[in-house]
Amino acid sequence: MTAGSTTFRAVVLEHFKHPRNRGALPNATVSIDGANPLCGDRIRIQLLVDGGAIAEARFTADACAICIATASMITSHVRGMRLEDAQAVDGIWAEAALQGPPPAARQRCVTLPVDTLRRALRAAGGAG
Amino acid sequence: MTNHGLIDERDPLIRREPAVAIATLVSATGSSSKKLGAKMIVGRSGRLLGGVTIGGCVDAQVIEAADALVDGANGEPVPDARRVLSISLDDDEAWEIGLTCGGTLEVVLERVDPSAEDDPTIAAHRRARDLLAAGETAMIVTPLEPTGAAYTLSESEFANTTFDGRVFVDRLSPPATLAIVGAGQIAMTLTRFARELEMRTVVIDGRERYATAERFPDADDVRVGMPSEIVAELLATMAGGKNVAVILVAHDYKYELPILRHLLRASVGYIGMLGSKKRGAAVRQLLREEGFTDDELARIHSPIGLDLGGRSSAEVALSILAEVVAVRNGRRA
Repeated sequence: MTAGSTTFRAVVLEHFKHPRNRGALPNATVSIDGANPLCGDRIRIQLLVDGGAIAEARFTADACAICIATASMITSHVRGMRLEDAQAVDGIWAEAALQGPPPAARQRCVTLPVDTLRRALRAAGGAG
Repeated sequence: MTNHGLIDERDPLIRREPAVAIATLVSATGSSSKKLGAKMIVGRSGRLLGGVTIGGCVDAQVIEAADALVDGANGEPVPDARRVLSISLDDDEAWEIGLTCGGTLEVVLERVDPSAEDDPTIAAHRRARDLLAAGETAMIVTPLEPTGAAYTLSESEFANTTFDGRVFVDRLSPPATLAIVGAGQIAMTLTRFARELEMRTVVIDGRERYATAERFPDADDVRVGMPSEIVAELLATMAGGKNVAVILVAHDYKYELPILRHLLRASVGYIGMLGSKKRGAAVRQLLREEGFTDDELARIHSPIGLDLGGRSSAEVALSILAEVVAVRNGRRA
């Protein structure tokens, strides 16, 4: 799969136009903000943790299509998972889910939501 | 002196004056070049601030009467601290060559001691400034009788007040707030120009290196964070969203879309977005697909600004502010 391929773009566009889990989670156990200081992407990932498992995962973002698509996918993926299992989500998993790597200059658009999720998982583990 | 014509006794120019006269335009028949409430301050030393007309012979008559009020006439002090001046605009010579405006103006002149804490006009203007600073409407009531003094009421106080005799009521709205999203060069110029228009400016961006107090010395507030949340918080804390203009100059859909989703169903006086017609159409189409109606989407001014033909950041900023003013004054939808 080449960077920025037709499939990658189609997946990103579909999730950008129809993002899953977008919106605030008022009763969240943890809420973690992430930002890319250069491009200005801003994201917040919120988790509701119950008994060591992720009962709900949502995100809020003023961010680009790739960042929103990644956040949409990873929040869908981790819902229902145990915290320790969700730690397996990384950039490689995200690229596979997006069906391709992002353009070289847009790597950070994928890693920002992934890194923010991982920080939220650590915070939830500490809190739990 | 503020754009509302309010006197500020702390202003060094005013403090130097032992006495000033404040002239207020209170009625006009025929054509008037300034709106009712226009003010001019005439100091004993000869200083002039503001004006009740564009100029010419009318202001000259007001200055002459104001001088008499603060200095006395023919060497004699004028006993009354106020007078109502009636001025005809039907100048004979101007009429002959077709250049007269025609009509009559009434101007109230009040003598004021800037150094006196209890001067009623100073107190009325001070209260008006305080109300406006708190985001409230101020109503300055000026009796049109030889006696009496001006005073200021809030909008709610005004609604519960009855008046004896003829009065002039000057309704002053709080300054508009510009929420500028995108802390680039155009935003920097917007904050400079907006200060001259006495608009409050809030600069918003997600990038700390852009939205800094150093880059925006003229801004009233600079905020870094998730722009859509900052705009929503700002509107929630403002009493009247109609007094807020949101100007999207980030030229980035990641800020524009979430902010527009919020604004299009909120009460806000002006929404403008930087970009070409093609780009504006694309943003509207994305929002249309999300369920926004054409009426809601028509609230977005894009391309932003009046068409002045300029391309520099200062020219673009000028065109944006010109459109904001036109919308506030009901000249554009």
